[in-house]
Amino acid sequence: MNTFTKIGWRNITRNIYRSSITIAAVAVGLASLIFLKSFIDGADRQMVENYTDLLIGHIQIHKAGFQKNMGLEKSISGPEALISSFKSTPGIRYAVARIKDFALASSPESSSGIMLFGIDPTAETKISILHKRIRQGRFLEKDDDDKIVIGRSLADHLKVATGDKVVLMSQGADGSMAAAAYEVCGIVEAGAEEIDKGLALITLKAAQELLVMGNKVSEIVVKADSLEKIDDIKEILKSKVNTNKFEVLTWKEISPMTYQWLQFDQVFTGLILFIVLLVVAAGILNTVLMGVLERTREFGIMLALGTKPSQITKMVTMESLFLGLFGVLIGSVAGLGLVIFFGKIGINLSAISSALNSFYIGSVIYPRLDAMSFCLYAAIVLLVSMLVSIFPAKKASRLSPIEAIRHI
Amino acid sequence: MQRPYIITINNLSKVYTEKYSNIQYKALDNINLNIEEGDFTAIAGPSGSGKTTLLNIIGALDKPTSGEVMIENTPLSTLTATESAQLRLKNIGFVFQAYNLIPTLNSLENAEYVALLQGVPQNRRRNEILQILKELRLDNLANRKPSELSAGQQQRVAVVRAILGRPKIVLADEPTANLDSKTGAELIELMKTMSQNLGITFIFATHDKMVMEKAKTLIQLHDGKII
Ligand SMILES: Nc1ncnc2c1ncn2[C@@H]1O[C@H](COP(=O)(O)OP(=O)(O)OP(=O)(O)O)[C@@H](O)[C@H]1O
Ligand SMILES: [Mg+2]
Repeated sequence: MNTFTKIGWRNITRNIYRSSITIAAVAVGLASLIFLKSFIDGADRQMVENYTDLLIGHIQIHKAGFQKNMGLEKSISGPEALISSFKSTPGIRYAVARIKDFALASSPESSSGIMLFGIDPTAETKISILHKRIRQGRFLEKDDDDKIVIGRSLADHLKVATGDKVVLMSQGADGSMAAAAYEVCGIVEAGAEEIDKGLALITLKAAQELLVMGNKVSEIVVKADSLEKIDDIKEILKSKVNTNKFEVLTWKEISPMTYQWLQFDQVFTGLILFIVLLVVAAGILNTVLMGVLERTREFGIMLALGTKPSQITKMVTMESLFLGLFGVLIGSVAGLGLVIFFGKIGINLSAISSALNSFYIGSVIYPRLDAMSFCLYAAIVLLVSMLVSIFPAKKASRLSPIEAIRHI
Repeated sequence: MQRPYIITINNLSKVYTEKYSNIQYKALDNINLNIEEGDFTAIAGPSGSGKTTLLNIIGALDKPTSGEVMIENTPLSTLTATESAQLRLKNIGFVFQAYNLIPTLNSLENAEYVALLQGVPQNRRRNEILQILKELRLDNLANRKPSELSAGQQQRVAVVRAILGRPKIVLADEPTANLDSKTGAELIELMKTMSQNLGITFIFATHDKMVMEKAKTLIQLHDGKII
């Protein structure tokens, strides 16, 4: 081993107590960073999954302009060909057609503006989990063409229960006045205000009849095998349809607010990373600087004997590299251990879960760690521990030998 | 026959200016001195007479206010900081008053430190070092850290370190100050033997009568002047 590496190493072991505390600080910093990142990633992912599972799916295909300005004139005729072509595309789990339009729902007591969905009851269960959120009655079934499912808050507002009638009013595709009565067969409680307050589901066939749409639909909703594939699949779908006539939108484009919220999460993680790095940096700086100050005489002698300042710099930098390496090693193992452990059993947040529900996050969060962030964080912490030593190292190498030797 | 001078000092003065009061103090006052190659020179004088200041300037650790020091034919004033460091490494060995050794290295590693800095491969010097350590009854202490050595043992290791670098000059600033007189006398004897055997010029500062008597040349300093 090189003499300076040797001296550096022995200085770590000479003050084993102080070194251990520094190593522990680095390790705790990195471990909490890894854990926090994977916690937030896990929660974010759950949020996206729950959000897209509930209603909007991963990708929606409309006639061009539909997302900006909804209207029956922008509807897709003959959707079966598109759907079967989508279903056979690798990476796509399922695809369904829906009608989507504004309508007015009234009961003898009250009325309210709603978002009306016409769905295929059996196919829909493969793409959304709304049927699992029925709190009263049941979900729509095949041939339930005179039945309706509405949200909890809407039902309260209209003062209706299962078995009661609700009248839907809208304008048909041909410009005619559309109105029909439906029997409430189920009340859904999604925990998301926009759904509970403003959602009504009837069968696709009933909607086509009410709105005079023939066999046309408003949108095709696609579900991918995993969230990671969404962007790739979007491109594939764009190559399958005429993009002048159709728009292919991912959930990020359909719900930019939700997406921005996730971006904010990442900024937040970055901020925490920064704070942890500051703590780690301060810890290492303190140790290395103290080590340098108390060895002033030693450096003076080394310099007087002809040691190059650059060799002194190297030695001091080595010391903090050792501290950083050990800290990063232990911190990685601890952080990974935490992520793996809680990734299995989950972190139960039921105490505050009612608040989480409105963010589409369940009450048990499973941390997830991607290899990229892990390596990145470990590398950054190591780098910071090296960078921080530059100041004490320079200080040591620039000592005047005479003054340093006089120093006891 | 006159031997060549290894050190030539001409009109050397060193003035310290106190930081806050700006009072000037002449630590060395117009020193003229030649030292022969292989000499065994003591610089004697009371505390504050300028011994350390003179040794530091000869050792290229400090700059004079005026005058010149030449080592062989090199005027020290012409050297940059890096060149001074190179000169010290190649030509000058140092023994300080106390705590000379690097605390984390054992005796053997301390002894070979300068040689290693000079780029001498470890295995080439090892036998020689072990031989010298044996002669000095230090071989059984080779693996001990400085904190496990007596002051006298530490100083002997420092002397070994200085001469293993094969310097032309060894400068020792009160090397015996922390030792009892018997141990001190032994250390000076050791230095004298080394000087004779290897032809190294030794210059040591002291205010100890017993130590002065062992010198071949004695230079007396008083208030920064040679008397
Ligand atoms: N850095 C400095 N700043 C100001 N004055 C100094 C400085 N170094 C030394 N002196 C002064 O210069 C004079 C000579 O000091 P020096 O250390 O050379 O004496 P010395 O002979 O080695 O004494 P001692 O035997 O006590 O070691 C002293 O009066 C001292 O106060
Ligand atoms: Mg002195």
